[in-house]
Amino acid sequence: MTNSDLLTRYNYDEFVPAKFESWLRFDHSPPLGGPAPDFPLWHLDPAGRGASSGRETSLSAIWSHHTYTIVEFGSFT
Amino acid sequence: MNAIADRYRDQGVGSIFLYTHEAHPGEYYPHLTSMEQKLRHARDLRDKLGVTRPILVDALDGACHRAYGSMPNMSWILTRSGVAIYKSDWTDARSVENAIAYFLDVNERRRSGERLAPFRVERLDFRNQDRDAFYTGLERNGPRAVREYRAAFG
Repeated sequence: MTNSDLLTRYNYDEFVPAKFESWLRFDHSPPLGGPAPDFPLWHLDPAGRGASSGRETSLSAIWSHHTYTIVEFGSFT
Repeated sequence: MNAIADRYRDQGVGSIFLYTHEAHPGEYYPHLTSMEQKLRHARDLRDKLGVTRPILVDALDGACHRAYGSMPNMSWILTRSGVAIYKSDWTDARSVENAIAYFLDVNERRRSGERLAPFRVERLDFRNQDRDAFYTGLERNGPRAVREYRAAFG
C-alpha cells in the first residue's frame, strides 16, 4: 500500500462498513504491561506568545512529564 | 474527562485529547486531506465541545491512532516510563477515574512499604448510552453523517 493509498483509506470519505470496519483493531492493540508505542504528535495550541499551532512533540515527551498520562483518542463523533 | 484532568492534575496525572480522523465525515466536517484541515477541525472541536485538556493532533495517516487499535473514542493510561497500564475500547469517565484512583493508591501502598507485583485482569465496564447526544454529534458533522450511520446500524 502506498502512502497515498493509506491516507485515503484511513481518512475514509463515507461511513460504510467496507471503509471503516477494517480500522477497528482494538484486539490487535499493544498489550498492557509492555512498552507503549511512541509517535510524533502536534500541539494544537501555541506554547506561548508568538508560537504557532502545529508544534511537533511526541507521545513519549508527554508521558515522561507525568506519573500517569490519560490519553483520550477521538474526533467530533 | 475534563473534570478528571482537573481533579488529578496535582497528583501527577496528565491528560490529553488526541485528535484522530473524522469517524463520521459529513458536509460540514468532511474526511481529512491535509494537516491544515486536521488542525482546523481539532480547533473547532476544542471550541465547540469545550475540551479544556491539551489537544494533540496525530499525523495525517493516523500512525499513532492505528498503532493503538484505531477505535474512534478509546482511552489509554500510560506510565512515566512508557508502559501501557489501562486501555478501554470506549471512553467512559467513570471507568477512567476508577482506574486512575486505583493506580494512585498503588503508588501510596508502595510508598508505605508494601511489595507489589503486577498481574493482568480483564473487566467489562459499563457506560451510558445517550443516543440523542450521539445523533446531535453526528448532525454537527452534517446530514450525510446521520444518514450513513442509520444505514450502517439502524
